[in-house]
Amino acid sequence: MAKAFKSTRRGISGSLEPGEVRLLGNLFRDIISMLEPETAASSDPLAAMVGMDTEAVAPSDSAVRRLLPDGVRANDDEALEFRRLTERSLREQKISALRSSALLLEGNPVVLNPGQARLMAQALNDVRLVLADRLGIETEDDAEKLHEVGDSSDVEDVESYLALVYNFVTWLQESLVQALLTAGRQKR
Amino acid sequence: MTVGFATDTGTKEEVKSEEGTALDQPWIVLVWNDPVNLMSYVSFVFQDYFGYSEAKARRLMLEVHEQGRSAVASGNREKVEQDTVAMHSYGLWATFEKAGSE
Repeated sequence: MAKAFKSTRRGISGSLEPGEVRLLGNLFRDIISMLEPETAASSDPLAAMVGMDTEAVAPSDSAVRRLLPDGVRANDDEALEFRRLTERSLREQKISALRSSALLLEGNPVVLNPGQARLMAQALNDVRLVLADRLGIETEDDAEKLHEVGDSSDVEDVESYLALVYNFVTWLQESLVQALLTAGRQKR
Repeated sequence: MTVGFATDTGTKEEVKSEEGTALDQPWIVLVWNDPVNLMSYVSFVFQDYFGYSEAKARRLMLEVHEQGRSAVASGNREKVEQDTVAMHSYGLWATFEKAGSE
């Protein structure tokens, strides 16, 4: 069983079982492949260099759309223009956080400085957003119901397995964020 | 938003407000509630990215949670665009708009 992250003198430290490291690594890699651009890079090298993608459109997969949401509401044209200016670099930033996190998890125990812990918290959050989309969590009541799936004896099908994974990642992220908040208080 | 296992720290609310008026800060960043992001994480993001105090970050987080959204920052258009993408990089759901546009 994983040990919750804690703020220690050496950094933010936690410990995971090999199976948990494999599971999280697979989830991070799945999301990286979802985030790799669907279309070939824009043919304009200057645009690509500054992170623009003149071909970008709102993602068709609802989970990807939650990772890369519209930055302007109730105005599709402005939302699309903003997406074309910013989405490529956002994808790259997320992919880089997910890659770093997969590597950082290989340590045993996992010891993170604040910057690494922030990347890990972002990566775990992206995992939760994607799992929540697959589980159809749309309201706080939906989220509440999932808490009932507590351990592997509750797993009956794919959905309850995903719920179990979601609850595990939630627990891990909460402990990481609490450690980050504690480390922040100690710094002041 | 949702709650993790840890209990709340019950820090005191701060009184002063450092926001400018809508006149000199014509654009705002709104963060929207969603059922997935942890309340602790949203507070952390507001402290980490905007440099807000724990009390201010918590107040804004509760506003998102209870009112469905909160204007968390303001500035010129370039700044709020940057802030919006930053919120997306943390996985928060944010949009920007002209202050007072509704």
